[in-house]
Amino acid sequence: METTDLNLFVRTSEETISDWDRSKIADALIRETLIDQDTADQISEETELMIRRSGVRVVTAPLIRELVNAKLIERGLEGARKMHTRLGMPVFDVDSLILHPNKENANVPHGPEATNLTLAERIKKEYALLCVFSEDVADAHMNGDIHLHDLGFIDRPYCSGQSLEYIKKFGLDLPHSLSMAKPAKHPEVLLAHLVKFAAALQSNFAGAIGWDAVNIFFAPYLEGLSDDEMKQFAQMLIFEFSQQAVARGGQAIFSDINLYWEVPKHFENVSAIGPGGQFTGKKYGDYEKESQRFAWKLFEVYKEGDGAGRPFFFPKPLVHITEKFFRTEGHMDFLNHIADVSADKGNTYYVFDRGETAKISECCRLSFKLEKSDLRDAMEPWRMRYCALQNVSLNLPRIAYTAQHDDTKLMDLITQRFLLATKAHKEKRAFLEKLLAHGEDGPLALLTMNRDGMPYLRFDRAAHLIGMVGLNEMVQIHTGEEMHESKQALKFGLKIMAHMKLLTDKIQRQEGFKIVLEQTPAESTSYRFARLDLHYFSPSSGRVVKGDIASGEVYYTNSTHLNVGYPMNPIERVTNEGIFHPLIEAGSISHVWLGESHPYKQALADFVIKTFRHTTNDQIAFSPEFTTCNKCHRTSRGLDDICSYCGSSDVDGITRITGYFTKVSSWNKGKLGELKDRHRVGEYFNEQQKVANG
Amino acid sequence: MPSGMHKFPIKGFIETSFLDWKGELSSVIFFAGCNFRCPFCHNSDLVLRWDTLSDVHLEYIILTLRKYKQWVNKVVVTGGEPTIHMGLYNVLGYLKREDIQVKLDTNGSSPSVLRGLVAEGLVDYIAMDVKGPLERYDTWCGTKVDIKKIEESIRFIMEGNVDYEFRMTVVPSLHREEDVYQVAEYLRASDKFFLQEFKPRQCIDRSFLNVQPFPKDVFERMDKNVQQIRVTGIKPEERIIKFREKILKPDRADSK
Repeated sequence: METTDLNLFVRTSEETISDWDRSKIADALIRETLIDQDTADQISEETELMIRRSGVRVVTAPLIRELVNAKLIERGLEGARKMHTRLGMPVFDVDSLILHPNKENANVPHGPEATNLTLAERIKKEYALLCVFSEDVADAHMNGDIHLHDLGFIDRPYCSGQSLEYIKKFGLDLPHSLSMAKPAKHPEVLLAHLVKFAAALQSNFAGAIGWDAVNIFFAPYLEGLSDDEMKQFAQMLIFEFSQQAVARGGQAIFSDINLYWEVPKHFENVSAIGPGGQFTGKKYGDYEKESQRFAWKLFEVYKEGDGAGRPFFFPKPLVHITEKFFRTEGHMDFLNHIADVSADKGNTYYVFDRGETAKISECCRLSFKLEKSDLRDAMEPWRMRYCALQNVSLNLPRIAYTAQHDDTKLMDLITQRFLLATKAHKEKRAFLEKLLAHGEDGPLALLTMNRDGMPYLRFDRAAHLIGMVGLNEMVQIHTGEEMHESKQALKFGLKIMAHMKLLTDKIQRQEGFKIVLEQTPAESTSYRFARLDLHYFSPSSGRVVKGDIASGEVYYTNSTHLNVGYPMNPIERVTNEGIFHPLIEAGSISHVWLGESHPYKQALADFVIKTFRHTTNDQIAFSPEFTTCNKCHRTSRGLDDICSYCGSSDVDGITRITGYFTKVSSWNKGKLGELKDRHRVGEYFNEQQKVANG
Repeated sequence: MPSGMHKFPIKGFIETSFLDWKGELSSVIFFAGCNFRCPFCHNSDLVLRWDTLSDVHLEYIILTLRKYKQWVNKVVVTGGEPTIHMGLYNVLGYLKREDIQVKLDTNGSSPSVLRGLVAEGLVDYIAMDVKGPLERYDTWCGTKVDIKKIEESIRFIMEGNVDYEFRMTVVPSLHREEDVYQVAEYLRASDKFFLQEFKPRQCIDRSFLNVQPFPKDVFERMDKNVQQIRVTGIKPEERIIKFREKILKPDRADSK
């Protein structure tokens, strides 16, 4: 039968309607797969017959493709089918996506840009699982043994730490941009460069963009500013970052700014860059006063909150507490000042750099200890750009269900999953290497731009993160006790983490690239793992997952954290959670949930100092809760159903989800379950009541 | 720890609090039982049904305080009403032996106990709740109250050497705004006077569970006015004289 006999039209993917042409099927098969011409012809004939019999008049290209795929499967040509497959989404899904908000990441608003992002992510996710990762890695992700983070951003590295010095020195000169800006002469211009560059980076990284020592690097531009001007400038910086929800996917740039009260030792004697990208002839140590004034004003702005008195969601301020901090004049005033912000708005993160380690923090809790080579970089701080290529988290409770209380098996399974995660890293690394190889003409042009003798992304320095979810539940399943219930249980948890730390060291040496442990923020992963385990490991999982099974609001405890609902003294929490932190190189955090109670700033400051002195905890933050009214635009403390000012019920709750503040209405079910469980400081009798009422 | 220590009606213990002692980390001990029945009280279990709460043993408290010594060396003793228990002397004595600073929360109904504790050096800070203008004290407290005792406590606290604060919980439907200002005026000579927001939680009089707190802006206005009353007006010296002469009318027999 001749193809022209068939009076049939095809809607192609190029938005045209073509006449039926059987040979196109065979052509595609030959082009895309490795099968031979005869088989391709046979398949095209069979497919035509099928369509002909069905009597349809118009057929779409995707349908033809799937029919062809069916024929490939009939012949057992699974490999060819994979190569010939099509990525996309059902109409129903697209429809609901356009209408309903995405709950996987609370930092994605709902709108056409966000929908675009989600649609693109879906396809890239499928692509990643099909084409970037090997089958065992992809399967392990799908069934929830491990979680490959940000698969929708498969063609970008994960997160990064940046230096303002780069734009100060080189201006804003991005590959393929429409205009090139020379180094800024005025602070406002530098600020504009910073925000624009952050947006550009957001389009090239999946996750957080952190900026090191922002108050110090701005200082040479801020000489001579009056207090009012300084405040105004601080306001500009925070509003510019917090209102940047117009870039990628309508998302705010997930941004951190690292701040110091003192000029840290590694920057003290570094030549300062000032207006016009010129060295000022002074060292950063000479700019202590300006950088302190700027830091002070930034926190005044945080204290006031936005126009409705809400806490700013971004940029997150990370204040480094070091030994030198305590030797620097005015540190107690500053500590009380930032603790005031903690008590009132919750923004402040306290990063503890004990001893001689210097650290740069990147996202929720990702920080890097600066190594010797990095400290050499510090003399030329524009070189200080760091990144992690990918984050893979292990489902620890899953391992415990499988190990059946056998210690050896447990450790062995951890090792196996660890190796699988390493394999995933190697595969992503190879894929990114391929993209980067195209240089400034390739898809990651920004990351390959070379202004200082090396590509912007320093690939050889890149880290690979291995995270963990539910250490607490793993210990609970294996030993029968959660980590807060006994010293032995806590110790067992520590043993597991020590094993994982040992693995990173070994494998790192073997593979020749940097692997570090990280406390996964696991905003959606802890929910996903819990849900999957309820499915695969029922009934034992039903006794272990936290939250409320009936409503589906289930979760595993994040990373190495202790049970969030147990009414635990915050001292115990920061101390006991802190014992894991030295093992987790890429950074950790402990949360102190404040709820509606309003603590005294000096009490918080005191607690911060004692945490620095008496624990090994790496980072803490205090998290209050708020209700913000959409009617009267005022914000009050605590999570309420109605506005305590005007009584309107059109309100949003706001609190910290993992590492950042956001509206509770955007949270996924697992996090909502966790929110209900969170033990807030000072809820003593409410807790007793809960226990009494069972 | 001495053996055969008394049992004290301690029904609650918070190891770390950020909000019970201004400016300091503190632990909190809750004594059960109270001689008042303030309808808006948010610790009804501690006042009415404390037999259903389990005891916290003093031994446990002391050991815990020792454990957290380098973190916390301050304890807020609250209730209920701690001063109705003779055992309070003992408890504070044990705390003092641990070199711990003590803040006492009281309703001021037992000035003699306050005197005794202060004389023994057992308290470092006193926080007294003033429930409303003295004329209608029975209404605020839900029971018959000897106003003389309240006045005596207030005077004793203000004239003593121990740091202190007065505070008033403002309850819509019970207090009028004017009542708040009257108390502020009355306590103008004091070091510190704070307003506290009422929260409809676990109230002794269950009908108060339905009382909505003052709208935020109303509360903020009252707070501002109270501070205004405290700073403006008559000079401090006159204030004290006026306070002593016109309001307290000191009982001569009792003056030290």
